Amino acid sequence: MTPEPIPVSAVSTLECRNCGAGAPMDEHFCPQCSRILSIGRHGDYFAFFGLPRKLTIAQADLERRFRDLSRRFHPDYYYNASPTERLASLERSSYLNDAYRALRNSMSRIEHLLAIEGMPATRSDGATKVPPALLEEVFALNEELDEIRELREAGTDPAQLRARLDTARKPIELKREEHERQVESLAAEWDAHFDKNDPAGKHAALEALRERLLERNYITNLLATIDREAGILGPDAKGPEPEARG
Amino acid sequence: MGKVVGIDLGTTNSLVAYVRDGAPEVIRDGAGDALVPSVVSLGEDGTIFVGREAQRRLLTASSRSVYSVKRFMGRGLDDVRDEAAMLPFRVGGEPGGVVRIGLGDREFTPPEISAFILRELKQRAEDHFRERGEFDFEVDRAVVTVPAYFNDAQRTATRDAGRLAGLEVLRIVNEPTAASLAYGLDRKDRGIIAVYDLGGGTFDISILKVEDGVFQVLATNGDTHLGGDDVDRLLMDLVLAQFGREIPAETIQAIRKAVIQAKWDLSDLEEAEIRVDPSPGIPDGFRRRISRIEFEELIHSLVERTMQPVRQALADAGLEPSEIDEAVLVGGSTRIPLVRRMVGELFGRTPHSEINPDEVVALGAAVQADILVSGRREMLLLDVTPLSLGIETMGGVVSKIILRNSTIPASGREMFTTGVDNQTSVDIHVLQGERELAGDCRSLARFRLRGIPPMLAGLPRIEVKFQIDANGILSVSASELRTSIAQTIEVKPSYGLTDEEVERMLIESFEHAQADFDARLIIEAKNEAETVITATEKSLRRPDFAEIVARDLQPGERERMESALADLKQVLGGTDRDAIQEKTHALNHATRHLAEIVMNRSVREALAGRNVEEI
Repeated sequence: MTPEPIPVSAVSTLECRNCGAGAPMDEHFCPQCSRILSIGRHGDYFAFFGLPRKLTIAQADLERRFRDLSRRFHPDYYYNASPTERLASLERSSYLNDAYRALRNSMSRIEHLLAIEGMPATRSDGATKVPPALLEEVFALNEELDEIRELREAGTDPAQLRARLDTARKPIELKREEHERQVESLAAEWDAHFDKNDPAGKHAALEALRERLLERNYITNLLATIDREAGILGPDAKGPEPEARG
Repeated sequence: MGKVVGIDLGTTNSLVAYVRDGAPEVIRDGAGDALVPSVVSLGEDGTIFVGREAQRRLLTASSRSVYSVKRFMGRGLDDVRDEAAMLPFRVGGEPGGVVRIGLGDREFTPPEISAFILRELKQRAEDHFRERGEFDFEVDRAVVTVPAYFNDAQRTATRDAGRLAGLEVLRIVNEPTAASLAYGLDRKDRGIIAVYDLGGGTFDISILKVEDGVFQVLATNGDTHLGGDDVDRLLMDLVLAQFGREIPAETIQAIRKAVIQAKWDLSDLEEAEIRVDPSPGIPDGFRRRISRIEFEELIHSLVERTMQPVRQALADAGLEPSEIDEAVLVGGSTRIPLVRRMVGELFGRTPHSEINPDEVVALGAAVQADILVSGRREMLLLDVTPLSLGIETMGGVVSKIILRNSTIPASGREMFTTGVDNQTSVDIHVLQGERELAGDCRSLARFRLRGIPPMLAGLPRIEVKFQIDANGILSVSASELRTSIAQTIEVKPSYGLTDEEVERMLIESFEHAQADFDARLIIEAKNEAETVITATEKSLRRPDFAEIVARDLQPGERERMESALADLKQVLGGTDRDAIQEKTHALNHATRHLAEIVMNRSVREALAGRNVEEI
């Protein structure tokens, strides 16, 4: 699922609904009266966790931050608080959970980075355009799928077609693995440019990441098409268990 | 402020617990029994019976008694038609609407039936606190547990039931998660836990990660229609196959009772007997031996059905079975040896069952209730939503907004616009489930967004926000972003009660409350009367009774006792509580002398034959 473009707030401060004091955007509690702050239209999950906008994240550190913030926001601890604080706790907890979900996984982390950098990985222009790097594979796969469908309708032995489907799947899988490696090195590139604060380098890395992500979405769709065809062929088509979702 | 308790509202049994001096404990009745059978029965005079008494009435007034009502919570008639055929009570309602359960000449929704059970538990807890001499004994708030795999409608129905019972439901907690909390109390270490919960009617699997006192659910799965009830049904089919003709509902309940006993026996023994006493339905009675091997063959596919959700939950959590550090068994059906064996084999380790699987969920609910009101922060439950939430889009396809296994609270946003010029309202259909098409998912509600400012088609930008709270219950809000006008939303729950319906039922339940309270007092009076009758009859049957009459009793005393006994028996069948109490006292009084004589004789007999030194 590609997220909606996240509206990044124009204002840079929050107002405490309890005492009326202003608070910086990334604060969770009012610096004046220490009550939990209602969430604004925030947008930056990295800042929310107190992390720099870098793609390499230590999983254990992220988890620790998540648990720590959960302990401070969770509605369980605001049962006796005022309605305003209870609502703030509910919204801030929801936001924390969304943020954690996005940053935990490396791909959704990149999607989020692109979104807050103003380069969302969605195709507003002609959603079905095949990425040039994939033309060859897509062409071959579609031809093979057409043939398999025809044979299936003609009553060919499903086991035989399953084998052909598995073969057709291989090059796409390889493409995906290659992609993952490319994405990894681009992520490292972004982090390096971020540390050097090199605007041109950062922009180039983002552009490349965006391109890879669009391709990746396309690959995912291709694999889903193969799975669907396998599903029609019968329950044994792709092994005994459904694949885990990301 | 009154007391706060944790309640396990189960398919077969329910129970209540609370935290006392920092440790959770279940509340038992005078006989030490913690379980209240989740059975409700409507007396011929309109009184409501709950628990053991209602369970007894299943055998004598089947059509006026309802059990396993949890299976009907938040469901429509279309969902339950198949299983309703086997049940002694009437199951009706509008097609596509809430199930209605007919008992005698009255009709109840499942939340109303559940409310009777909750009220009984509330009463039990209040009696307990009163007996402990607490001044503030009223119970007004509770944490109530539900199967993790319950959908929004089923959770909402449970919350409605609490409201109808006069309880503020502080939190709906998932049963396996509650159980993990009870286990976690004395295990402060970290690890991955799998909780396998097979109850009377539902199955759940939850995979949790425990670290620093945070119990984080990674994935959950289950089947809200799989449990001990299904085992019973397989055994009943085995018996019913012997009888080709129609059998009265009462006899079916007698058979059900017999197969449940055999099922329990087979947890400890290699062989058991299904034994039904003779009754008008089966004049010769029924006996059949069943070995554990035969039993296991019979239920194997049922237990196997729990394995697919387990594998799916593991896959969703991104874990292999071998990565599970501890497996925990919850629910009465995990006493079945085959279940323990299959769970043990899957995880490659012996599962934990140190805490009574019937009580562990209520204990966890009590711990959660304590966390909520005390603000203790050592432990925190982070649960997930079991099913994806989505809305119907063009062509009946579901667009997912919040994915399953998202940590709750969770929120999601979706933008809507209009299709024709000056359109001022938009209809939205909210669904829960994993399937692609709306028709295959669970319909939760239909919303109508109103008050959209008239604009050209496609111009309005209406943002609809879906919020799932920590109970796993959905709420929806919307606003038009160009004008910042908040939209009003009309909710029509697909399989639930509207607020107005709950309100009306609440008023009705107050009207019935006095009758229900009276019924309770009558039951108590009858129990006391039966105790006195049993004791008297025992004395009258003593082999030395004739000798006692001749040597110790006054003339006419025997006759006075017999007539007092007959008087009490005569009023016992009625509902006049004062008469029952009066005759009970009269019998007590008439037999006091006899009781003294019997006591003295017993003491003398006990001492006879001993020498002085021994005394």
